[in-house]
Amino acid sequence: MTLLTQILVSGIGFALPLLVAAVGELVSERAGALNLSLEGMMLSGAFTAVLGAVTTGSPWLGALAGILGGLLLGAAQAVLSVRALADQIVVGIAANALALAATTFGARLLLADRGQEVPAFDRIAIPVLHDIPVVGPALFGQTPLGWVCVLVVVVTAVLLGPRTGRGLRIDATGEDAVAADRTGLPVRRVRALCILLTSAMAGLAGAQLALSEVRAFSDNMTAGIGYLAVVAVIAGRWRATGTVLAAVLFGLAQALQYALPALGVAVPPAVLTMIPYVIAVVAVSGLAGSSRAPSCLTVPFARA
Amino acid sequence: MGALLELQGLGKRYGAVDALHDVTLSVSAGTVHCVLGENGAGKSTLCNLVNGGVRATTGSMAVREEAYTPGSPADALRRGVAMVHQHFSLIPTMTVQQNLQLVRRTGLRERLDRIADEFGLTVDTGRRVADLPVGARQKVEIVKALVPDPDLVLLDEPTGVLDVAEIDALIGTCQAIAGSGRAVVLVTHKLGEVSRVADAATVLRHGTVVGGGRLSEVPVPRLLSLMLGRDAAEIDADTAGAVGLTPAPRARFVPSASPSVPETTLTARNVPPASPSDPGTTPTARNVPSASPSDPATTLTARNVPSVPPADPATTLTARNVRSGASDASGPTTGPALSVRGLAVHHTDGTAALDAADLDLRAGEITGIAGVEGNGQSELVRVLSGALRPSAGSVRLGDADITSATPAVRTRLGLGVVPEDRHHEAMVGELSVAENLFLGDLARFRRRGLVQRAAMDAAATRVIEEYAIRAAGPRAEMRSLSGGNQQKVVLARELAIDGLSVLVAAQPTRGLDVGAVASVLARLREAADRGVAVLVVSSEVGELLTVCDRILVSYRGRLLGPVDAADPTAADRVGSLMTGTAA
Amino acid sequence: MSRLLHPAAVAALAVAAALIVGLLLAGLAGADPLTTVSALVEGMLGTPYAIGESLNGVAVLMLVAAGFVIAYRAGLVNVGGEGQLCAGGIAATAIGTGLPAGTPAFVALPAVLVAAAAAGFAWAAVPAALRAWRGTSEIITTLLLNFVGLALVTLMVHEEGLLRQPVTSSETLPQSAPLVEGAHLPELGLSRSPATVGIVVAVVALVAVGILLRHTGTGLRLTALGHAPEAAARLGVPVARTRFLALGGAGAFAGVAGGMLVATAPYVLAEGFTSGYGFSGLVVGLLARGSMTALAAVAVLLGFLVSGGINLQLVAGVPATTVSIVESLIILFIAGSAAWAARRRAALRAPAPRPAATQAETVGAER
Repeated sequence: MTLLTQILVSGIGFALPLLVAAVGELVSERAGALNLSLEGMMLSGAFTAVLGAVTTGSPWLGALAGILGGLLLGAAQAVLSVRALADQIVVGIAANALALAATTFGARLLLADRGQEVPAFDRIAIPVLHDIPVVGPALFGQTPLGWVCVLVVVVTAVLLGPRTGRGLRIDATGEDAVAADRTGLPVRRVRALCILLTSAMAGLAGAQLALSEVRAFSDNMTAGIGYLAVVAVIAGRWRATGTVLAAVLFGLAQALQYALPALGVAVPPAVLTMIPYVIAVVAVSGLAGSSRAPSCLTVPFARA
Repeated sequence: MGALLELQGLGKRYGAVDALHDVTLSVSAGTVHCVLGENGAGKSTLCNLVNGGVRATTGSMAVREEAYTPGSPADALRRGVAMVHQHFSLIPTMTVQQNLQLVRRTGLRERLDRIADEFGLTVDTGRRVADLPVGARQKVEIVKALVPDPDLVLLDEPTGVLDVAEIDALIGTCQAIAGSGRAVVLVTHKLGEVSRVADAATVLRHGTVVGGGRLSEVPVPRLLSLMLGRDAAEIDADTAGAVGLTPAPRARFVPSASPSVPETTLTARNVPPASPSDPGTTPTARNVPSASPSDPATTLTARNVPSVPPADPATTLTARNVRSGASDASGPTTGPALSVRGLAVHHTDGTAALDAADLDLRAGEITGIAGVEGNGQSELVRVLSGALRPSAGSVRLGDADITSATPAVRTRLGLGVVPEDRHHEAMVGELSVAENLFLGDLARFRRRGLVQRAAMDAAATRVIEEYAIRAAGPRAEMRSLSGGNQQKVVLARELAIDGLSVLVAAQPTRGLDVGAVASVLARLREAADRGVAVLVVSSEVGELLTVCDRILVSYRGRLLGPVDAADPTAADRVGSLMTGTAA
Repeated sequence: MSRLLHPAAVAALAVAAALIVGLLLAGLAGADPLTTVSALVEGMLGTPYAIGESLNGVAVLMLVAAGFVIAYRAGLVNVGGEGQLCAGGIAATAIGTGLPAGTPAFVALPAVLVAAAAAGFAWAAVPAALRAWRGTSEIITTLLLNFVGLALVTLMVHEEGLLRQPVTSSETLPQSAPLVEGAHLPELGLSRSPATVGIVVAVVALVAVGILLRHTGTGLRLTALGHAPEAAARLGVPVARTRFLALGGAGAFAGVAGGMLVATAPYVLAEGFTSGYGFSGLVVGLLARGSMTALAAVAVLLGFLVSGGINLQLVAGVPATTVSIVESLIILFIAGSAAWAARRRAALRAPAPRPAATQAETVGAER
């Protein structure tokens, strides 16, 4: 494989979990909920996926467990932010810390002596398409779970897009929760469901990372991908196409980071790390084009 | 046919306070039922209860004789109860179409066509709600309420933002809705509209029902006294304005003569005449609502009430008329206290909110600006207060150009403003009365860098006493005061400005109970008496006619007029200027 | 019943609940409750060394939280503590390693800390300006700059041309050279305790902030701005400038904290030196709900728990992560119950009349 192909393969490898989590987070943010706990959701998903796979011997059941792991954290975020009206940022940060600590604890307790043999997914090379030069292996060499991820992203974008009935309701909830409530929309239920969906997708993303890419669990293996997914939503200006583009871009940037030494380029990797965030700052500051976050983002809703 | 909506002993308690208690009323299908009450009587709480916004603490509700306990607006809609909100129910950044789609997606077009046929209501679905003028927005609200085919439509103070033509249209719509076999509940404090459209009315006062019934049995003057808790004979012009009754214009103060007999009679625009056996009250210093005794039982619409000269001239002594030369309203020695030239303000889409407005305010004179919301008067006030930058034009305060001055500078130069949106622009609810009074003037209480609270509290207590403000003390949180008392604090603060030369008051009596209204208007008059140029912006023409010397009308961003308030035809002239027909 | 709704009571209950969960987890790891508690307490308070370490951590938390509270009063949420800590640390290291070796403490220390404050202010200035004059959400911009700051530290300590100590062998750690001695935070001199004057600085800062917020015109104006920006503008508060200075000030506080971290043993800048203090400080600031005493209490609690955790692992064999779990749970429980209790208290009070505006007060909505 040429270096370029390698970069693309690992780039898409980073990008896919990022994409799943970001598209999920987009739904929540359109409804007005900011999930800083996305990182924790992904990490939980990764952990439970590995735990599930190792316990049952089946990677598919592991993936399912991963989704449930994400949902667990999502349920906490939903209850605390929507029902108890706790500050979304505090809950997000604390949930991340909790997930990090809990998965490290859990790994020590439950995964320590299982060895490194984790039932995982193998890549499938789609005939013909896989042989397309340069992009073939990257685009058409995914694992089955990877294809599931792509499917989930497409289905979510289609079913919940801003032009659909459900999408419209979600947008209304995030734009003006008071008006939405008076229109008869169940604001809290919409937000809670969106958070749960996000967490399920984040769990899936974690499972993809653990079972398709890394094929093991290690402490803090997500290392910031969750935050990056939130950033992708911002850089994508809260639109689906922008988010997808941003996620792919960020994934490639990550891959580039590790490939640079091989390319002989002297740019320090740390500089590359910064780029996604700088892009997002420019995007959100409106210095280049206009950007508008949902007006009710992070504002808890209560009918006074 | 049984009642469509029935309330029995309904009550809502917050902590130790009863916002509503013992409310019993019954609305029949096919009728328009008005719930009357002055501001503060409990009307909004009642709306919230019926609409599912809050839960009742006592009593019960029933729709079509089945128990009705909505826990959310969605529950209410499911039982066929729809509410037309004034501000909150449309998503501003979405289009009309999208907002309506939130209620119903399939068959929306057919529904809208049906509504257009049945009620004559059409809306432009492609436009963004934020770009619509207020009257159009309300139409969308009404259509939105009708889309799910409700049995009962509840309207909460709908006419405050409408001009005369739109009010007519709304009344027609209400009648059409009732005519189709549904019920309409119209909550309002405007007595004038009630007699035009209501089949039955219920009067709220101090949170409970004090009377009501079918309009054929309970005449409007009786409703008026029930609302205000006092005899019709004792109602003065200010109070009448507060309930949407227009006084006939009063004579202008004539400096040379002794207080001659400017005869001012309060005629309710829509008050059916008193029965002939009513001898008419003896002349008192207050205005007397009366109508020509030779005109019994004619149903009067808003237009055909003649301004009736009273049989005997009742002397009207208002504070303004009695001023003997306290201020020389005719020829000020210096230039105008405030002067606005060519002021223009544009919306984000390029249309003009204010269009080349010119205005001069003279010391000791009270100028009014009438007009329905959305014609530029809010923008004018915001430019004057410094909250909004004009796209063109200039504002001069005395000799100083304040067009781009900060609010702090304006205050220092003697400009006081009572903003329209009290809760957001005039006061900080979470701070105390003392802090609200002196936030702009803290240097006065500062020693060695720290604020001297004791001194501040003492000064605040003096203000509280002087203005008869009902508050637990200078440390009481501003938001714990009633609307009227909050407004008193705001006024006290503005009136205390050192070297006050101009006072701008935007909708100063909105949402206030009758007593507070009188107090506020009295303070404005007082200010004018001591030489301040006062500008009052109000959507209540009656109020302006009572208190102003001259009235301008804000229409589509231009200031039309002025109309001399003492002119007998002032009310009509103002009215026609408001609709855009030439004066 | 309403007695239980008092914020302190709610917080206490939350802490208790979290501790119980912690004990259960410790049990899973094979330690009985008694051993766990004694190891924890011993770790927190047992040795002067542990107490000293904790106090240093408490100082950092207090500073970050105090800055956070100032900005929060003005209605701004500073999520950028991590990045501002980084900026402060970088500036402190640059000055601290650049000064000549014999620089006396009364020159070096202030120089280092002032540089750190300035760097923190500058780091917050971009989000602050964007918010003050363009209405861009500071939650998002400060959050983003955290990662840039962390990456910047990595850059600094990996490049010899920047702050990396001279590379003598392949095992040279990627970290800065040590700060000159004059720039070391003096220790309090308590025997066998590494506690520095940092805690004194922090307490003084806390008191100053308390006085500022409650007893000065600036504090009143900040409060007014945070609650009702339009009314504040009307009453003469220069809104944009005040917002800028408030958020910048929060950055300065966090910057100083970063400088203090670097000026404490082992006196070098290394990756990860912020140890999440930026986020923890934010949590402390939010949970304190405006009260300086509450702030101090929460900072002490969180700061000491960390030491307790280390000992827990050493003595009882319970993973230190247990303590992190308990910490997170404490925060979650307090956050959840505090908001709930506040609403229950508010429900007992009659509602104020509804204003004519919607709830859209945050992201992107410039007034």
